Amino acid sequence: MQKSAIASTSILVPAFLKAYQPEQLYNSRSGKILVIVQLSGGNDGLNTVVPFQNDIYYQQRPTLAIGKSEVIQLSDQLGLNPALSPLQSLYDDGLLSIVNNVGYPNPDRSHFRSMDIWHTASESDEYLSTGWLGRYLDSSCQGCQAAHHALEVDDELSLALKGQTKKGFAMSNPDQLKRQTNNQLLKHLAQQPSHDHEENVAYLYKILADTYSSADYLSEKAKTYRSKNNYPSTAFGKRLKQVAELISADTDTRIYYVSLSGFDTHVNQKNQQERLLKQYAEGMKAFVQDLKQNRLLDDTLIMTFSEFGRRVKQNASRGTDHGTANNLFLIGGKLQRPGFYNEGPDLGSLDKGDLIYKVDFRDVYATILDKWLKGSSQQILNKNFQGLQLI
Amino acid sequence: MDKIKHLYGRAGFGLSLKEWERKQQWSVSQAVDELFKQAQTASPFSTPAPPDVAGYLQMSEMNKAETRKKERRLVVLQSVDWIKRMSSENYSPFLERMSLFWHGHFACQSKTSTLAGNQLNTIRTHALGSFRELVLAIAQDPSMIRFLNNQQNRKQKPNENFARELMELFTIGRGNYTENDIKEAARAFTGWSSTPKGKFIFRSGIHDYGRKTFFGKTGRFDGTDIIDIILSKEETARFIVRKIYRYFVNEQINERHVHDLAKSFYASDYNIEKLMRKIFLSDWFYDKINRGSKIKSPVDLLAGMLKNLHIEFQNELALAFLQRSLGQSLFNPPNVAGWPGNKSWVDNSTLMIRLNLPAYLLSSKEVNFKLKEEFEARKQNKITKRLSAAVDLSPIFKQMKGKSLKEQVDYLSNYLLPAKPQAPLQLFERITRGQSPEQATKLLLLGIMSLPEYQMC
Repeated sequence: MQKSAIASTSILVPAFLKAYQPEQLYNSRSGKILVIVQLSGGNDGLNTVVPFQNDIYYQQRPTLAIGKSEVIQLSDQLGLNPALSPLQSLYDDGLLSIVNNVGYPNPDRSHFRSMDIWHTASESDEYLSTGWLGRYLDSSCQGCQAAHHALEVDDELSLALKGQTKKGFAMSNPDQLKRQTNNQLLKHLAQQPSHDHEENVAYLYKILADTYSSADYLSEKAKTYRSKNNYPSTAFGKRLKQVAELISADTDTRIYYVSLSGFDTHVNQKNQQERLLKQYAEGMKAFVQDLKQNRLLDDTLIMTFSEFGRRVKQNASRGTDHGTANNLFLIGGKLQRPGFYNEGPDLGSLDKGDLIYKVDFRDVYATILDKWLKGSSQQILNKNFQGLQLI
Repeated sequence: MDKIKHLYGRAGFGLSLKEWERKQQWSVSQAVDELFKQAQTASPFSTPAPPDVAGYLQMSEMNKAETRKKERRLVVLQSVDWIKRMSSENYSPFLERMSLFWHGHFACQSKTSTLAGNQLNTIRTHALGSFRELVLAIAQDPSMIRFLNNQQNRKQKPNENFARELMELFTIGRGNYTENDIKEAARAFTGWSSTPKGKFIFRSGIHDYGRKTFFGKTGRFDGTDIIDIILSKEETARFIVRKIYRYFVNEQINERHVHDLAKSFYASDYNIEKLMRKIFLSDWFYDKINRGSKIKSPVDLLAGMLKNLHIEFQNELALAFLQRSLGQSLFNPPNVAGWPGNKSWVDNSTLMIRLNLPAYLLSSKEVNFKLKEEFEARKQNKITKRLSAAVDLSPIFKQMKGKSLKEQVDYLSNYLLPAKPQAPLQLFERITRGQSPEQATKLLLLGIMSLPEYQMC
C-alpha cells in the first residue's frame, strides 16, 4: 500500500519491477559509468608504485623500502607493492593505467584542506563550497532527475558530490537506508503533493520525497543481481560489491563514490599500508570480474586517488609524513594508454624533500568530464584544462 | 507573537516553553532591550592549562598522536559545553548567537582546547563591541596565527596566508585589493606570532620595519595600521553588513536595507551593537518574506531542541556525534571560509537525521549511523545505535493538559514552527489515535518536530 503510493508520486517509471534479464543488459547501456575510489589519509605512492631501480629511494627509506626482489616488476623502472598482486592481471590485460606525479600547484599538506582541493577542484588558495561532480550534476547533466544519479556508498555525502542546486545521494546499503526511512510520519509527508511552500521549505520537501523514492528504487535494484565473486569481507569490500551489483542490475546511477580510509601511516607504515592495499587490489579484481561477466567493462571507468602522497624520506617511526604529488589509477576497458601513462617520479629533483607534480589532477578531471561524462569541463572547472590522452 | 518568535529564533536559539509563556506577548522593543542587556554580562569559558609543548616535542610519534587525540577530544567537549550554553536559560542567547556568527566568520580550526577556548573568549569579549577591535584581537589570536601560518611570516620571507584571508574573507572581500596589497600587508604582519604556550607575542627581530605601500598609502605600517586602512574603506562596512544580513535576516539581500545599514555601521565607526539593534528594531526585519526563510544550521537545530525538550544525553559525546553527522563541528569548520550554510546543510543523509532526530530522542528509534573515518583514525568508527537521552516533557504536559487535539496542535505549532504547518489535522489525529493523553501529546510533539518546517527559523 505504502509502496505503491510512493511509486505513484515518484517521477521514476517503476521499470525496476521487471525481473532481472541478463540478456537485456549486455551492451545495453546508453550512458557511461564512473566509479571514484578514494584512498583517505594520504596513500604513500612510492611504496605503491615502487621505483625499484632508484638508489635514492633505497637511501631515503632504509627500513621502509620494498626490496627489488619483492616488487612486482611491471616496467624496467617501476613495479607494484606485492600487496597489489591482484592488479597484475589487470595490468597485463590492458585494463589499468597508472598516471604518475599527479598533484597541483602550491600543495597543501593538511588532509582536510588537500582533500577539499581534490573534491572541489579549486586552486590551493581558493575556497569553493561545491564539488566537481556536484557541479557536473548542476550544469552538464541534462535529464538526470533521479536523486541517485550520483551515489556515494556511505552514510555521509562527500563534498565532491555536492552541487549548488543538485546533490548526489548517500547510501551505505539499502537496508540501512530502509531503516532511516522507516518512519511512518515522514513516509506520509514524503507522499504529500507539493504545497505552495517557501522556497527553502519546498527544497526540504523535495529532498524528502526524492529520498523515499530513491530508497524504494535502490532497494529493489539491489535485490536484482547477486555477485558470486570473492570480495574482501571488509566494509570496503562490501561497498564495492554493492556497486558492482547495482551496476550489473542496470541501475540508472551513473556515478559511484566509494572510500577506503586509514592511509595516514606516520608510524609502522608497512603492515598498515599493505593490509589496505591488499584490500583495495582484491576488491578491484573481484569488481572487474563482475563487470567483465556482465560485459560492462567497456562502459565503466574507475578512478582511484588519494589527497596527497608522502615524503620521500621515511621518518623516525618507520612511517612517512605528509607529502605532495602521487600516482593515480584508472581502470576500465576503454583506456587509451594502458600501462604507465608517464614516467615515474624524479627523486633527484625534489622540492624540500617532496615530489614535484607534473600532471594537474584537474587535467584528469577534465578528461573524464569531457570525454567520459560528456560534460563541459571548462564550465565545471571554471578554467580551461587541456585534458590528457587517457580514455 | 510571531515577531517575538522570529526575533528569538534569529537573535537566539528559540525559546524554552517557560520563556515562550513569559515573553510571547512582549513588544519588540521590550524583547530587544532584554536581549542586549543580558548580553552585557559575558562570563568567559574556562580554558584548561596549555599542553606541555617541550614534553610533546620529545615524544615518540605514537605518543604524539595519542596527545593530539586527547586534545581533539577536549576541543570536542568544549563544543558540547558551548552548545549547552546556547540552550541555557541562564546565559544570554544573543551573545552566544553573535559569537557563533563571528566564529563562522573568523573560521579557524583549533588544535588544542586552550587555543579554542581563548579564541572563543576573545570573540565573546568583542562580539558586540567594535569590529575594529575584534579584527585586531583576531589578528593577535594565537589559534588564528597558527591556522593561517603567521608563525612563518617573517621579514624577507613573508607568508601571505593571513594577509590574504584578512582581506578576502574577514574584512573587505574580493575585488577591492591587488596582489601587491596582499604582499605589502603580509610584510606589516611579520613577527605577529605566538609562544609555545599559546600567548600572542610580537617578535621584533623578524618584523619588517621597512616602508610599505598599501591601498595607495606609503609608510612604515604595522598590522594595526593595515587594519585601520582597510576599515577606512566603506566597502569593508558593506562587506560585513552583507554577511550579517544574509545570516540574520535573509539569504536574499535587499540592497536598500543593506545600503542603509552599511552607511550607519561605517558612521558609527563599526559599532556592532548599534548595527544589530538597528536590524532588530527595523520593521522590515519582521516582514513575512524574512520569517521562517532560513534553514537552521546543525548547531541552531541542536541548541533549539535542547531548549524545547530539556535534553540530557547519557553520553557527553552524543552532541559531538550529532554535530559531525549533521555537518557542523564547532572549532572545526571545513576551511577558513567557514560553513557555507543554508541549502548546503541539507542532503538526503543529513535531512534524514534531522527529521528523525525527534524520534531518536522521544521514542528511542535506532540511529544506526556511521560517521566517515577521521584521517588519523586507526580504528574503524563504530555505528552509533541509539542516542540515550532523558527529556523533560513535564512543562509541555502541564501546558497541554485538558486541551483538545486541535488546540494542542495549534499551540505546539505556534510555539515550535515559524508558520502554520500544511500537514492536515487528520495526520495528527491518526498518529495519536487511541493513546493516553500524555502519550498523545508526546506523539504530537514528535510529529510537529519531525516536520520539515521545524528545520526553519
